[in-house]
Amino acid sequence: MGNDLRALTELDRLIHEPARLLIVTILSTVESADFLFLQRETGLTKGNLSAHLSKLEEAGYVKIEKTFKGKLPLTVCKLAGAGRKALTQYRQQMQDFMTRTQ
Amino acid sequence: MNNNLSDVEQRVKRYWYTDGIGELIGGGIFILLGIYFAAQQYLGENSLVGGLLQAGLVILLIGGMAIGRWLIKALKSRLTYPRTGYVEYRVDRESTNKRRIVVAVVAALVAAFSMVFAQRIASFLNLTLALTGILVGVILSFLQGRGSGLERFYVMGAISIVLGIVLSLSRLPDGYGLGLFYSLMGFSFIVSGGLTLRRYLQENPLPAEAERQNG
Repeated sequence: MGNDLRALTELDRLIHEPARLLIVTILSTVESADFLFLQRETGLTKGNLSAHLSKLEEAGYVKIEKTFKGKLPLTVCKLAGAGRKALTQYRQQMQDFMTRTQ
Repeated sequence: MNNNLSDVEQRVKRYWYTDGIGELIGGGIFILLGIYFAAQQYLGENSLVGGLLQAGLVILLIGGMAIGRWLIKALKSRLTYPRTGYVEYRVDRESTNKRRIVVAVVAALVAAFSMVFAQRIASFLNLTLALTGILVGVILSFLQGRGSGLERFYVMGAISIVLGIVLSLSRLPDGYGLGLFYSLMGFSFIVSGGLTLRRYLQENPLPAEAERQNG
């Protein structure tokens, strides 16, 4: 296996998944965002978004706070330090890969 | 890949302007500024109220911005967040510092220009007004327009520059000229913000309560 391809195997698969990459990218731009905003921006269904957020939370990449606004539940998500670091590393790896293969 | 991710980032940043509420409140502040300058001219610096007005500009600006920020948050909480979601933005110190540097450089250039050319052109145009129009226009185009990628800010920037130059040729006294400039700019902001808000509300009806179960 060439070095270029080997570099791909070292990618963080948790972030490499397109939906999760989108979620992490959105959260990297803001301080925090709620579930509704993430759902609209990603175009995912509630169930799908919940599942991806749970995986990211388990990995310590995202912090999720469940509160209430009036009678309605409000889920606010925030990118954790580990998530920000993982995204930066992922982008760098992808950039390097693209440069090498062009 | 990075280009696509940058698009996502810019779209998220643009979300702040999606409802036009900022422009509506900003327009209101501009109109208040317009009334302030016109009132100052009308009352004169030597009257008690005129003197108080002159001393109160900083308080008016800081107070107006604080109340404006509070109003924007309150309106967004009622109109925007229940429809399209809540976002709290990060304070990006690096980009804030860059913005400050751009504003400072533009202000310095404007001041230098006015000192060098004031004598020559003061005879046929009101320099304060022309430079105010250019300064506001540059800030709108380069900081708001380029930062958000929204064309309407370039249009507002162009309106500011044209308005500043046209009014500067009108030979109105400084206070009335500035008052008219800020009032017309405020009106333009309100029209732009109002149209944006109307479109936003049409495109994003309030979801049913079951759908608003946020997560």
